[in-house]
Amino acid sequence: MAELNMLQAINESLHFEMARDERVVVLGEDVGHVGGVFRATEGLYEKFGEQRVTDMPLAEGVIAGSAVGLAMAGLVPVIEMQFLGFSLQAMHQIGGQIARLRNRYQGRFSSSITIRSPFGGGVRTPELHSDSLEALFANIPGLKVVLPATAADAKGLLASAIRDPDPVLFLEPLRGYRGIKDEVPDGEYLVPLGKARVAREGTDVVIIAWSHQVSLACRSADRLAEEGASVQVLDLRSLVPLDLEAIGDAVRACGRVVVTQEAPTTAGFAAEVIATINEECFYSLEAPVERVTGYDVPYPVGLLEDIYVPDEARITAAVRKVLAA
Amino acid sequence: MFQFLLPDIGEGLEEAEIVEWLVEVGDVVVRDQPLVEVLTDKASSELPSPVAGRVAVLGGVEGQRILVGQLLIEIDDGVTVKQDFEERETSAQAPAETPAATPPSTLGSPPPFAAAAPSSSVSPGTRPKAAPATRKFARDLGVDLTQVPGSGPGGRILLEDVQSFSTGKQGGAARSLDPGLGVMPAGRHPLRGVRGAIARNMAQSWSEIPHIHSLDEIDASVLLGFCQESKASGMPLTPLGLTVAALARALRRFPMVNGHINSGEDTQEVVIPEHVNIGVAVATETGLVVPVIKNADHLNVAEICQAIADLAQRGRSGSLLVADLSGGTFTVTNYGSLGGRWALPIIPPGQSAIWGMGRIADRPLVVDGQVVARPALPIVMGADHRLVDGDLLEAFRHEVLGYLADPQKLLAGDIF
Amino acid sequence: MLTDMVAARTQAGRLWNLQRQGRVGTLAPIDGHEATFVGAVHALDPEVDWFVPQYREALALMRYGPEVLDRYLLYNLGHPAGGFIPEPIRALPCQISLATQIPHAVGLAWGMTLRDDPGVALVSFGDGSSSEGDFYEAGNLAGVLKTPVIFLCVNNQWAISTPSRKQTAADSYAAKAAAFGFPGVTVDGTDPEAVHLAVSEARDRARNGGGPTLIEASLYRLGPHTTADDPTLYVPPEDLVAAQDNDPVTKYRELLSSEGLWDDAHHAEVTQSALDLFDASFERACQWPLSPDAVLDHCYAEDTPRMARQRAALLASGGHRG
Repeated sequence: MAELNMLQAINESLHFEMARDERVVVLGEDVGHVGGVFRATEGLYEKFGEQRVTDMPLAEGVIAGSAVGLAMAGLVPVIEMQFLGFSLQAMHQIGGQIARLRNRYQGRFSSSITIRSPFGGGVRTPELHSDSLEALFANIPGLKVVLPATAADAKGLLASAIRDPDPVLFLEPLRGYRGIKDEVPDGEYLVPLGKARVAREGTDVVIIAWSHQVSLACRSADRLAEEGASVQVLDLRSLVPLDLEAIGDAVRACGRVVVTQEAPTTAGFAAEVIATINEECFYSLEAPVERVTGYDVPYPVGLLEDIYVPDEARITAAVRKVLAA
Repeated sequence: MFQFLLPDIGEGLEEAEIVEWLVEVGDVVVRDQPLVEVLTDKASSELPSPVAGRVAVLGGVEGQRILVGQLLIEIDDGVTVKQDFEERETSAQAPAETPAATPPSTLGSPPPFAAAAPSSSVSPGTRPKAAPATRKFARDLGVDLTQVPGSGPGGRILLEDVQSFSTGKQGGAARSLDPGLGVMPAGRHPLRGVRGAIARNMAQSWSEIPHIHSLDEIDASVLLGFCQESKASGMPLTPLGLTVAALARALRRFPMVNGHINSGEDTQEVVIPEHVNIGVAVATETGLVVPVIKNADHLNVAEICQAIADLAQRGRSGSLLVADLSGGTFTVTNYGSLGGRWALPIIPPGQSAIWGMGRIADRPLVVDGQVVARPALPIVMGADHRLVDGDLLEAFRHEVLGYLADPQKLLAGDIF
Repeated sequence: MLTDMVAARTQAGRLWNLQRQGRVGTLAPIDGHEATFVGAVHALDPEVDWFVPQYREALALMRYGPEVLDRYLLYNLGHPAGGFIPEPIRALPCQISLATQIPHAVGLAWGMTLRDDPGVALVSFGDGSSSEGDFYEAGNLAGVLKTPVIFLCVNNQWAISTPSRKQTAADSYAAKAAAFGFPGVTVDGTDPEAVHLAVSEARDRARNGGGPTLIEASLYRLGPHTTADDPTLYVPPEDLVAAQDNDPVTKYRELLSSEGLWDDAHHAEVTQSALDLFDASFERACQWPLSPDAVLDHCYAEDTPRMARQRAALLASGGHRG
């Protein structure tokens, strides 16, 4: 065990997987010599060489598109989209090709492709660097969408994603790279995809969240515990496949729900969670589900960022509202 | 007979015009031989024959527009069995990328109406408000939410409201009242009908019967617990039902309480009836009515509860018969259901006693030397002091309360 | 090569009729492209080299095995099995999204070198596709990595109704290779031997570590873009007539006949044989089984919990009624 931040955990996982399976190759902009603009791929180029770690030309489309060919040739590509907002430049390859490989070719070729990408607010980035686009991808069948909220999960989920036979979009929170630190098991460590995690036990209300919002939800819950409220936090970890059972269990236990996301309100993934609650455990609800989200506007500039991204105060207010309802 | 139906050859075409027939009826054609030139929105095309055979029928004349799916030409190939023209070919050979594989009429048409779940006679604006969990709870208990007063915000029905309702307790203060209650226009109104009858009866009772009342408050936890457990059996019992059962047995033991005094100009007598007929007061839109459970001492507890429910429902719907309202020898009034706790009920004429039950509410009671909160049921028994002395009154009351304290006794030795 | 060209043209005619009879969906006819595709395929070794097509090429890929035709017909029937080209065939099925297969081919070639696989990848695409970003991104990467890939730009002068002169201002499509740092060559796409030579040279270059080549094969689209297109609205009739006079199949037949290598009897034999093969293949395709819950197959390696329920509900309701 060691206390690592999320970045270190991701790096450790990449080293482990590349050592374990010689088919794993890493490609992206600046991932080689410099080890990634955030140093997530640090040391890989030195250890595994330029055949397996490639500094790609500045072209998201072909970074994603060539991964398809590499997978067809029997390799296991782990590609990086330097920021999730720029994956929109590769959407025709990610959504139109990578997601559909198994379905189009009916299983002839491997589609074991992992797409790593950072996103999320709180770090004052310029336009398109923080956009939270997970819902767009969750609506494309054939992709899996995974978001770790802890360093340990970052290591374990990334390992599982790389080994998964399906394409996985692995989303890393910018604020969490150095801001999230916890005990990470040494050596081989796998966390299964499609299984949520109870981040904090509670019985009065459950906050359902993913990625960095999970830590904010836990802080809010601790604050509310001082007032006598027992607040559960459910970390979804995977949006696709979604852990239907865990959501049902949490709602049946608590009866009151808040869902929080950085993405804008309309058609964000919180809507899917609420629709799922409707199908799985509607009759356990004591009150309408409350969602805390970004506003229905493009991700704003630096000075407006704090008012846009849900913070602990907004989550707490939502929990209070739902408890009083 | 091979029927060549006009295909959609251009991704979403709906019809085509026959430009020129390249064959005539009677011609022998080979496979892939051009049969006709058609014109669509996109292009002019020759359509080749799918089969070899003799042309039997042309599906239209030159210049005519026919729809995709309609008969273009019939060719006798000596092989194909003629299909009913209504049956379209919907085999796997349907064009891959053409939307006409789905009949156009179903694209975008609204889904068939799901049969609306039968709802109560509540109009949309007055549908009771309750959280999903509360609704399920009510449904599992068999409680009709439209009958439950809600004490939550905006009149919302809370879980406690459903619980109270199902065990006979009342919730908080807010009630949904009949909007006509107590309302009469200013002016003079003849005293007649139900109001007239009630007025006459009340006056007669008040002037003829010297009332004595005995009041008490009992710990109803055992009674409520018994009722709660009975729900599992599928035949839920109520405190009122158990009370009527207890009264029936007590009246059999103390026939004088079941009797009455007839005092007229010519007659002064004590009448002791053969049967125990217990009337249960029910509030209706037109006033109080008291339908009677005949031979209540011959019914078991479940039958009594069923009879109460049945009579109450008929009372509310105005379908009680005269026979239902006559022949009572004893009356029970549950003003607890109106929210009241204590009352001094008036004995109906022709009877000598009445049992009143108030609303069960938590009160501090002493149990084993400790003050504890218990559901307390207030009871008032009124009696005709000409017939019922104090000791009889207390003995009778004691008998009834004995059953209410141990309702299990009511289930033993029921049938006579 | 003429055998394959004649077979392709013959089968294309049968396929066209099937579309006009409403039995298969929209498809892109091969007419006029036979020399290019057949010439290219004959310069490859199907055992080791990959053919990455757009969507017009399949009838010319008989060297890759009869399964390619089976799957192409299944594809046109709209059957999901049409996308499955069985191992060990090194040809991909149709790619509808133009030019997206170009990066795939570069990745494939790249992957082969990483795995010490000696094959090359040839990717076929049209003049229109060369305007897509994927072409430039992929060409750029291929140049940087020197992957063993052959870019075959099939310039049939039209992208549906857009003529070549509106597709690019460059002197030629081959000229665009300069931006990528590898050679670009033009070739007469109606001459199968010329195409064969160009592809052979490109293949040698790739196999010897010399990297990619961009070959522009110039020809004329003799039919419509697809069965849903009406070229009479935009193709100048005199151009079409000139192109028909230059029909690659006719030309090559005349050449080989004059050299005593081909005659009418042989032509009839080849034609009939191609039709028999086609008809048998189509018959097989029409009988291909389709399970009631096929729509849910091959999305993920394993159903997600929600999909498992969807599958159960679908099966309970009777499923696909094909």
